[in-house]
Amino acid sequence: MPEAKRRRLDSAVEQNTMEPVSAPSPFLPTFESFRNELDEHHDRRERIVKASHDITALSKKIVRALQAPLPAAVAKEIEPRTKTINELFTNVAPDLRGIDAWRYQRQISGGIQEFIEAISFRHYLQTQRLITMDEAQAEIPGGVELTADDYLLGLFDLVGELMRFAVTNMATTGALPRGSPEEVDGGGQGRDILTDLRYIRTHFEALDTSSSGVPGSFSGLKKDAGKKMGVMKTCVEKVEKAVYEMIVRGRERPKGWMPGGTEDRAGIPREVVESF
Amino acid sequence: MVDPAIFEHLQTKINEDSAVREELRSKTQELEKQGRTTQSILSRAHSIPVAQIQATVSDAEKSIFAQVSTIGEISGVASNQPYYKYNSMWTKHMQDTVFSIILCGWLGGFKHVREESQALLTIENVGEILKGKTPDRDAFHLTIEEYLHAMISLIEELARLAVNSVTLGDYHRPLEISQFVKDLHAGFQILNLKNDSLRRRSDSIKYNVKKVEDVVYDLSLRNLILTTKSENQS
Repeated sequence: MPEAKRRRLDSAVEQNTMEPVSAPSPFLPTFESFRNELDEHHDRRERIVKASHDITALSKKIVRALQAPLPAAVAKEIEPRTKTINELFTNVAPDLRGIDAWRYQRQISGGIQEFIEAISFRHYLQTQRLITMDEAQAEIPGGVELTADDYLLGLFDLVGELMRFAVTNMATTGALPRGSPEEVDGGGQGRDILTDLRYIRTHFEALDTSSSGVPGSFSGLKKDAGKKMGVMKTCVEKVEKAVYEMIVRGRERPKGWMPGGTEDRAGIPREVVESF
Repeated sequence: MVDPAIFEHLQTKINEDSAVREELRSKTQELEKQGRTTQSILSRAHSIPVAQIQATVSDAEKSIFAQVSTIGEISGVASNQPYYKYNSMWTKHMQDTVFSIILCGWLGGFKHVREESQALLTIENVGEILKGKTPDRDAFHLTIEEYLHAMISLIEELARLAVNSVTLGDYHRPLEISQFVKDLHAGFQILNLKNDSLRRRSDSIKYNVKKVEDVVYDLSLRNLILTTKSENQS
């Protein structure tokens, strides 16, 4: 119907008023320059989204490898992946320079958070320390900026990995992973992973994110941190519960027995951890 | 195991961020309020004949200049920050302001930045009115997307104005509007829009073009359009 009407309209216009409209729009040159700029913008955006996805996938693989028990094999596995991630960052870096760093922050953010999770986990396994923001920034090549938000959200995810690592370790060796014995804290015992988890939890809880974000608008950190806070607390409690069970039933517990009893060997923390 | 400085540093960052947002929030609210005033002035155009529109246009210009000075304040805060970090806080109000500017320009305002015959203020004209910076610097500026959003709003508003012009007994203006929105529509058609808000809103352009065409059709069917040589005005 609109077509028919338009045809009638055209003929009416021709007959009654003016010549048919044939001159090209005077705005075309302007729109052509807009088109070029927007096309460049969309291309950059897509390159960054792609890089972010690839970095996420590779970081997840690194994390999985780090959970495995054989250090030599782990190093062999994560090395090429780290190399690929470095290349991805280096290649995408020109798209994230200057003004574009924040323009596409939301596109790259996912990849960076996942990468922070991977390197902070590796850093903890190697040094039993939490990676600092400067150290983390130094691991990202090409000058891609690490924002405080991404760093923080990556650390939240680290807690999930530490939980999984602790529980697996207790199940296979019958003991909680421990720092080197010369490091002694108040109780006269070596510091263990649960001490560290609780310490991180305390710091996370003390962090005040309530003022960040815009009410009624997109609000990155407050919302994300709120969600991850709950997961993080659950993770710490899982380790506490597992330690409790190990102590209570420790004597009769044969090696290889898993806390909780009903879960099968592979099933304990895996799906919980994979989901964030 | 945990260097307490890590979390102190994070808290500092969060607090700095909040302070900037707080400052920007109060200024964008001010801009929004002024924007409503401007819009209410401009909407008088629907009931005022072209011959008497100048007073309304001058009022609108004054109100827009008040907005421009608020934008200057926002710019002052935002220029110290990465541009796109806080861009989402003002982009909507910026679109509305630019819409007011180009509508006011279409109605005959802002003669100091444009040619007499120029119906649409270019992005450079608008930039001049806003005293903005060029888009290459990581400082406050008007983006292409904001300007395009404003154009879509202009098309919507002119479709309404075409109808109301007829009510005022002005049978010529719908023709001008028809040519103008068709030209803009042709421009939008060469853009490769992705699935974003610009894309969704630009879908409305064709309906508004049709609305105006229908007005022209109704007029021409009834021989209400005089065969004059004025069709090239716009």
